[in-house]
Amino acid sequence: MNTVATGATVESPMSAGRLRKLQTLGIFCGVVAGAWLGGAEAPIKMVNPDVSPITVSLIMVFGVFLARWSVPALVRGTSSVRYDVSQAPHLVVWAVLAGCMWAAANTLTIHAIRKVGLSIAFPLWNANSLLGIFWGFLLFNELHHAGWKRWVGVLGGAAAMFAGATLLAFASSSQAPPGKGMLGVIAALGAGVLWGTMYIPYRKAYLTGMNPLSFLTFFTVGELVTMIALAVGYKGGTALWQELMSARSMLFWLMLGGFVWVIGDLFQQYAAKYVGISRGIPLSNTNQLWGLLWGILVFHELQGGNRTVYSQVIGGSVLMGLGALAIALSSASEREHSSWRDAAQREGQRYGVEDGYVRAGMEGREFERGGKRRTLIDGILIAASTAVFIVLAAVARVPRMDMHLTWAAALAAAMLVLLVSCGITLWRTTGFR
Amino acid sequence: MAKDETGRESASRFRIIATDIHFWIPLLVFVAGLVLLHELR
Repeated sequence: MNTVATGATVESPMSAGRLRKLQTLGIFCGVVAGAWLGGAEAPIKMVNPDVSPITVSLIMVFGVFLARWSVPALVRGTSSVRYDVSQAPHLVVWAVLAGCMWAAANTLTIHAIRKVGLSIAFPLWNANSLLGIFWGFLLFNELHHAGWKRWVGVLGGAAAMFAGATLLAFASSSQAPPGKGMLGVIAALGAGVLWGTMYIPYRKAYLTGMNPLSFLTFFTVGELVTMIALAVGYKGGTALWQELMSARSMLFWLMLGGFVWVIGDLFQQYAAKYVGISRGIPLSNTNQLWGLLWGILVFHELQGGNRTVYSQVIGGSVLMGLGALAIALSSASEREHSSWRDAAQREGQRYGVEDGYVRAGMEGREFERGGKRRTLIDGILIAASTAVFIVLAAVARVPRMDMHLTWAAALAAAMLVLLVSCGITLWRTTGFR
Repeated sequence: MAKDETGRESASRFRIIATDIHFWIPLLVFVAGLVLLHELR
């Protein structure tokens, strides 16, 4: 049930039961994030490979932008976003900065995949979770007083997932054109460092009590502005516009990919909030597993592969699953959580944020004066986003592809079941706080 | 707008941000990423 934290109640420490509930919720969110982030690859696979990667990325970001302004309006109303910003206005800076980092990291990833192929780019990219663990420990007291078993669980789990990601990436690359060049490795490493460091703003915002829905609203501004600047800088305005026009029958699929990606990202944010970046990020990195499932079952990738390829797929999947399980079983203890509270208190004092607001955010409770009123603006945002998708769907062309529709329906149904069950749990436990 | 104990507003908030390591680490990494992107063009 939703509860309202008053100034008096937030003073008392969180009960062990509530902490366990939030930790389980955060882990659930991480798993759902993996499914939806991986599923976002499916619509993108339907797009003609002639469209340049930078344009693909830009159109996806447009879809992301629409989703990130309409989903918060639908779930909690823009008044709650305004309220969050009024409580901790400094976090807008970090939200925009994180968005800028995302755009640069995504473009570097595209470079890396083109230059060295998936087999090298993806494992290096996946290393971002190890950097996330490092920053979480160094800056936000994560894994402090955690005990050696949890350390082994988190680090061992992340290492197993890294090894699994390497195997899966090698299997995925068996049909990809061979890549070359040290620059590609540097690009992949650079992307990993950018993704991994992007979690600093995430954790800072959620320790201070900001709602992930509010954070995302500003994140996407940095993301869109940087992506437009990069795309215009790379291609020039005229060439970019011409490519957008010639690809208009594919815009819907790319923007749909962006929309699906936002749902995954939203759950990743809740995971980062409730289990920290050291657990939430590795769990959501299981997206590689889901992407591979879509590729193999729906798009007939790896067909006719040799025994080595199938061994890599099975071995990589098992390793990723075991790594995720190890992390899921290493949730924060009461002692570790008290260290998180110390970090949150430090943030609150530094920026003059009300203590009750910070604590209520950490405990997933509504702060007493939180605005949740829906306004006309919410309706306009939702209607405008829906209209854009309807118009693009009307001019979209279904590409001629050999797809296994039964598997596509089964995977989409699995994603929906995860979304609804986690959404209901999130609502009942925190009211989407 | 939330105020701290001494009632300081935006100006001092920017000063606090400017001395926050949590701001400089991501910013420097972002700038390095842009430089790398430029080299890759």
